[in-house]
Amino acid sequence: MSAAAPPVRGKQGPDTDIRARPVLVRPARPRRPGARLVFLAVTAVVVLAFWSVDIDWSQLAGFPANLLRYLGLMFLPPDLSTLPSAFEATVLSVQMAWLGTVLGIVISLPLSFLATAGVGPAWVRWPLRGLFSLLRAVPEVVIAVLILSVTGLTAFTGALAIAVGSVGTLGKWGYEAMEGAERGPSEAVRAAGGSTAQMLRWGMWPSVQPEVLAFWLYRFEINVRASAILGLIGAGGIGKVLADNVQFRIWDAVGTLLIVVVVVTVVIDLVSGALRRKIITGAWR
Amino acid sequence: MRPVRPRTAWKGLLVLAVVAVITVWAGFGVQVDVGALIKNFSNAADKVVLLAQPDYGFFPETLSALAQTLQMAVIATAAGAAIGLPLSFLASRVTDPSRPLVAVVRSVLNVVRSVPDLLYAAILVTIVGTGALSGVIALVLFNVGIVVKLISEAIDAVDRGPLEAALATGATWVRADRAAVLPQILPVYASQTLYVLELNVRASTVIGLVGGGGLGILIDQVRTFYRYHQLSLIILEILVVVVLLEAASSWLRKRLVS
Repeated sequence: MSAAAPPVRGKQGPDTDIRARPVLVRPARPRRPGARLVFLAVTAVVVLAFWSVDIDWSQLAGFPANLLRYLGLMFLPPDLSTLPSAFEATVLSVQMAWLGTVLGIVISLPLSFLATAGVGPAWVRWPLRGLFSLLRAVPEVVIAVLILSVTGLTAFTGALAIAVGSVGTLGKWGYEAMEGAERGPSEAVRAAGGSTAQMLRWGMWPSVQPEVLAFWLYRFEINVRASAILGLIGAGGIGKVLADNVQFRIWDAVGTLLIVVVVVTVVIDLVSGALRRKIITGAWR
Repeated sequence: MRPVRPRTAWKGLLVLAVVAVITVWAGFGVQVDVGALIKNFSNAADKVVLLAQPDYGFFPETLSALAQTLQMAVIATAAGAAIGLPLSFLASRVTDPSRPLVAVVRSVLNVVRSVPDLLYAAILVTIVGTGALSGVIALVLFNVGIVVKLISEAIDAVDRGPLEAALATGATWVRADRAAVLPQILPVYASQTLYVLELNVRASTVIGLVGGGGLGILIDQVRTFYRYHQLSLIILEILVVVVLLEAASSWLRKRLVS
């Protein structure tokens, strides 16, 4: 055996002549002190949160049994006689979401044109972008609480809250899409003597249209969920009916309401998702 | 020569007409009443003035609720991410050889995800009582849905070579997943966990509105007593926390995935 034979770790088979084989050295484990530090810090934060929070964790012991009991009360069987009224309330929520989305689109579309680089002047562009990020930072429910505390609680003001909440995301998506669009058509319109409005309509819009339409649909899906939540704080619709039934502990009606919420949300997501794919890829799949 | 004028887009007009009809129908449904709105709004002008002047003296009283909001968000994120990871492996065709199981896990979580977090909280508050625990459970339910969707999609897209190699050496599925798939999705997992934390901080500020603990409880109190100075301070706090956290999180996420 030559002195230069590599060190070999691990089990060796009956065949002891290892020189003909590839070297079986396990590479050293890479050391990453930075990643380790981050991992420790994250663990510390999580442990601290669990330890310091004002929660009696022993309550959790009875939770699974409790949950099963309540699920039984809700779904075994659900009170299907409330199905028509549950459906009606859901339709109101969806109407709220739809109207809010349409209003949000009507407000945000011109604003996002103005916020696009090369269209609006800088002194309009930056304040608008600031407004969009402000509106995105505040949860919709908080915007709703603000609007509702000023104008009172109706489904219409709920739709307004949804509209305001949508303007932030729709505005941002809009100007990002338009800035990512090809410059060529817009420049061509300009070169042919077109006005800014003509440039937007014939140069910019055709290339961003599919993307923007898909965003609108996606925002509608989000708003359907938001409108259910707004009902909980009094704006009407499925959320309000659900909160009332929970308060009076009419569990079999709550079960029906949950089923309706799930079915309606899933159906809207499916239809909207299919439409979005059709818009983006140009084909039904 | 002038190019031929494009034909009128009948399809586009038809879509527009359908949208208009639905919008009008929705308008009747929610009883649009601009007159009442304007009347209410002029009555409420003084409230807007109050809202524009946050009561900074109220800040010390909000601190414990603010802390609870952050605690709830962290706990729910940790629990949701921990429960979601193994379920994601069960929900991807790459790592789960049983097609029926994939279908079951996916559809159950689709159902779980289609109910908004505040609806869960509203129901859980009566089951486990008001307070942070019901809020945390509601957030965890919602988080598991999101984590599994995002992570199982990441698993669907991994390079299958290492997994096949590991299975060929006789490794069990669990060990092969651990050695060949987990390292590939770890950056995405960390990044999406941060994203879920962002969602949770927003949600946990409002989950108290239905009794789930955190700043929302405070919002509910000050709004029932019409203390607009204090309401605007709370909203300012939410704004600061959300903006700071999102800035930090998006910076970290960019570093993680690139």
